[in-house]
Amino acid sequence: MIQIRDLVMQLSGGGHTLTVLSGISLEIPDKQTVAIVGPSGSGKSTLLGLIAGLDRPTAGSIQIDGVEITDMPEAELARFRREKIGYVFQSFHLIPTLTAVENVAVPLELSGVADAVERAEALLDAVGLGDRRGHYPVQLSGGEQQRVAVARAFACRPPILLADEPTGNLDSANGRHVMELLLALHRDAGTTLILVTHEPQLASRMGRIISLRDGRIASDDVSRGGPMSQEQPR
Amino acid sequence: MMGFSSRMAWRETRAGWRHFLFFLVCIAVGVGALVTVSVFAANVERTITREARSLMGGDIEVRLSRPISVEGRQVLESLAERGIAVTHASELIAMAAVQATADLPRPSQMSQVVELKAVEPTYPLYGQVGLDPDRPLHDLLAAASCGAMSCHGAVVQESLLIRLGLRPGQHLKIGEELFAITGLLRKEPDRMANAFSLGPRVMISQEGLAAAGLIKPGSRVRERYLMRIPPGSAVMPLVHELRGRLDKDQARVSSSHDAQPQLKRFLDQMGRYLGLVGLTALFVGGIGVATTVHAFMREKMATIAIMKTLGATTAVIIGIYLRQVLLLALLGSLLGAAVGLGLQQVMPGLVKTAFAIDLLEQIDFGATVSWPSLLVVVKGIVLGLLTAILFTLWPLLRVREIRPVVILRRDLAAMKQAQEAGHRSGLVGGRGSYDGISIAAATVTALGLGLLAVWQAGSWTVGLLYAMGLLAAVLILLGSARVLISLVRRMPRPRSLPLRQALGNLHRPGSQTTGIMVAIGRALMVTATVSILERALVEQVVTNRPDDAPTFFFIDIQPDQREGVLSLIHRQTGALDLDAIPLVRSRLASVNGQPVKAEEDAGASPADRDERRKNWYLTREYVLSFAEALPKGNELIKGTWWPAGLVPEKPLISIEEEAAKYLELDVGSTVELEIQGAVVAAEVSSIRKVEWGNFTTNFYMILSPGSIEGAPFTYVATARVRPDQEVPLQQAMVRAFPNVTAINIGDVLDSFTAMLDRLALAIRAVALFSVLSGAVVMGAALSATRYRRLYESVVFKALGATRGLLLRSFASEYALLGLAAGLIGLVLANVLAWGVLRFLFELDWSFHPAVVGLSLASTVGLTLAVGFVSTFRLLGQRPLPVLRHE
Repeated sequence: MIQIRDLVMQLSGGGHTLTVLSGISLEIPDKQTVAIVGPSGSGKSTLLGLIAGLDRPTAGSIQIDGVEITDMPEAELARFRREKIGYVFQSFHLIPTLTAVENVAVPLELSGVADAVERAEALLDAVGLGDRRGHYPVQLSGGEQQRVAVARAFACRPPILLADEPTGNLDSANGRHVMELLLALHRDAGTTLILVTHEPQLASRMGRIISLRDGRIASDDVSRGGPMSQEQPR
Repeated sequence: MMGFSSRMAWRETRAGWRHFLFFLVCIAVGVGALVTVSVFAANVERTITREARSLMGGDIEVRLSRPISVEGRQVLESLAERGIAVTHASELIAMAAVQATADLPRPSQMSQVVELKAVEPTYPLYGQVGLDPDRPLHDLLAAASCGAMSCHGAVVQESLLIRLGLRPGQHLKIGEELFAITGLLRKEPDRMANAFSLGPRVMISQEGLAAAGLIKPGSRVRERYLMRIPPGSAVMPLVHELRGRLDKDQARVSSSHDAQPQLKRFLDQMGRYLGLVGLTALFVGGIGVATTVHAFMREKMATIAIMKTLGATTAVIIGIYLRQVLLLALLGSLLGAAVGLGLQQVMPGLVKTAFAIDLLEQIDFGATVSWPSLLVVVKGIVLGLLTAILFTLWPLLRVREIRPVVILRRDLAAMKQAQEAGHRSGLVGGRGSYDGISIAAATVTALGLGLLAVWQAGSWTVGLLYAMGLLAAVLILLGSARVLISLVRRMPRPRSLPLRQALGNLHRPGSQTTGIMVAIGRALMVTATVSILERALVEQVVTNRPDDAPTFFFIDIQPDQREGVLSLIHRQTGALDLDAIPLVRSRLASVNGQPVKAEEDAGASPADRDERRKNWYLTREYVLSFAEALPKGNELIKGTWWPAGLVPEKPLISIEEEAAKYLELDVGSTVELEIQGAVVAAEVSSIRKVEWGNFTTNFYMILSPGSIEGAPFTYVATARVRPDQEVPLQQAMVRAFPNVTAINIGDVLDSFTAMLDRLALAIRAVALFSVLSGAVVMGAALSATRYRRLYESVVFKALGATRGLLLRSFASEYALLGLAAGLIGLVLANVLAWGVLRFLFELDWSFHPAVVGLSLASTVGLTLAVGFVSTFRLLGQRPLPVLRHE
């Protein structure tokens, strides 16, 4: 369960402050699928990053499973990310000097898993890249890189998977493939899936669509029945 | 959008500034080192030239190693008619003993070797004697009465009072005479500030010296007659005249123009060698310049590609960046020169505290920079500019490899990654394209650096040797770095994530490992070599002292005192088997029938080292001995030793190997020796090899017994005693034989070690500039990889890595880097030290674990510190802002 209250994010630079998020409050129950949509600059990606603890908000609170993360010490925050969050970036962000399988193994190794490489190989098999495990990111196509990134994000089986425009840099076929992967993980493991997108078609496959405009929630449509939509909170 | 544009523009400038700053600092540190050293050396040398007269004590100096003859004295006295002032100073080594009085408790040390100087009232002719109290020297040295006894005044260096626990007003006994300490000697214009001295100075009057009765036949004394000629008179005609008229006295006559040739040569060489150490700092900095330009070019790849599509030729583009390089190098050089000149203000104080020498004070050294040293500054700036150009040649040529097609790729980031990961993307020409132009560029760079070294060293041999050594070191460091990188790459990946990341950072393409290793390794090589050499020399001289090395040398023993001295030593220490060796001072009169000119023109010191050595052997004063049997530590390599117990009909002489080589003597040659007025001809009967380091009295020339009967010889006795016997023996000797001087080998060695320490400190201080350069180069290299490190560390963080893990990973990387650079640098330092010891000092090399351990530890400390300072800010970065801006 993710609870967000009065979340404010301001960026300063160039002599004035820019308010990216101005007072967001929402709750996302476990196992929900959520799309965050909105025009560029509306604060979608920032919201997603704050949920992952990748930055600290200017004000407000974010609780994950009842634990406040906005004032967590850095080391604890790192552990929290390791255990609770998987993150897929628009531009993949694989580590260029590591092979595909090594990239997937990193979160497992960070958690001290003994057979990290073996499990990473299994994960690569699962995303259909078993034969590319020794390849470096630059030797992979964009779609393949994003599949590696999905495998990496899901390596520790986090209860929450966040994806920031996961198909934004991919052609439609590869985008579909990655999307199927994400939904399959939700379906099979019951993962909460929150994705930022500006593709209506993609958003329509989610159980809930939160639309942001100028740093505020413009609409929150929970009535839609996406595939495998969960029961809504009362 | 405006905000973003200006932000981006600011970011670009800031990123650029980081490069520019390192570029500037790299050049500035090197030029700073060079300018500091050369300006200081030039200033000191000029001051010495300006103060030459007071340093020598006169316009002309006549120097003898025995009292002057009656005729000689008449010659000098006759000079007064021509308006020439002459003053007589005698310098000798003597013993000063504490004269115990009622108010003076018995001090622990009762006697001390001193450097005694007796002067006349007219002294000094030039310059000032610094005294405390500030009263006329003559008054302080005048005869007086000390209680019931008569005595003379003496001014002494403060160190003597400290050693003997005396205060001004108390008394010293020197020879037969009592001296009251009437003042402290603060500054003596014509005492060459010797780093090496046997004891503190005591200055007395000539009357006092006569009363002490120290000058006996054959005594070791330096008689100096200093002259002031009337203004407007020519110096050189008088020098030549005196050389002729004082020929019989074997006097050395020199003018202040050629005064201090050794000091000048020493300072000149020291300046040049320290300059080369400074040049090393500049060349180390050059690596930083290359790294910086390389990184800068990589960032500007898109710009360059765009310019190429717009029709700019490679030459035009290189021209643009070369101009930028020149401007930066000029700024850096000026900055370095400013630092070097600024340091001049603090140098005298620094040198004084660090080396505790009063030379600077003695010559009234001021920190003013004058026009002639500005030339030195300009030279430093030009060296900085040229070094920068030579080091940027290679990276600038990479412009040729960039193809315009780059900009057709939308994803520049991917291309950058591709490049870093080292996979051929087809955008950039092959990395190892060693075509004609790059080979030519490399050759030009190597030759250019070699010529710069020759220019700085002022000698083809030294400069080329230096350049070749440097080139070899760089090639070895480069090779080792490459081997290490490929080893790390092939190694099975370690399980520990931080360690694996660290190793990955070391071997990935574009990792800068090579540059850092060459820079740090070379800097370490210089400093470690100095340490190893210092250790080896000290060890050779001090630690490796043979067990049977004597504790004392007793010199100036008169023939009639020989038995007495030996039996005193025996009584005091119980030592048997004592012997005293006769010795007599002489000069060569002729070699193989060729007369030796008593006075070689000291001003015209030949440039050729062999020629100088030959001159030295020809004109030096020889201490001769005669012996029945071949002395210990001597080995006959040619000829035969004279049979024992037999006095040969004709005097025979045995010559030391090196001396024989330079004097061109062989068995059967004849030499004539001038011994205090008498000439002895002797036939060379053997050539000996001498073990000089064995701490016994060794001789270049040994005569057969009976050759010099009647000559005024003195004896030298050696004694090996237990530490607790040292002081009593010295006391007893001073009491019984006041004219005999006891020289403690321990004190001499301490003095030698201290001198070596100071020398090593000076070199190390300059070498520190290369370490600084090395650190800056590493900072520059890390800055070149800064963006990549930032990116990776935030990706790791996003995946849940803690700051601690990133810190461990960085720390392992920097420690490994330091360890590798340190190991290679130390291997090279040991090889270099071995070569220097073997070929220059003819000593054996040995392993010094302390030096190696300490150097290694400080290198790792340095790389850790520099790495930490360069990257710690990355650790605190929050991931989102960085990843959003990708």
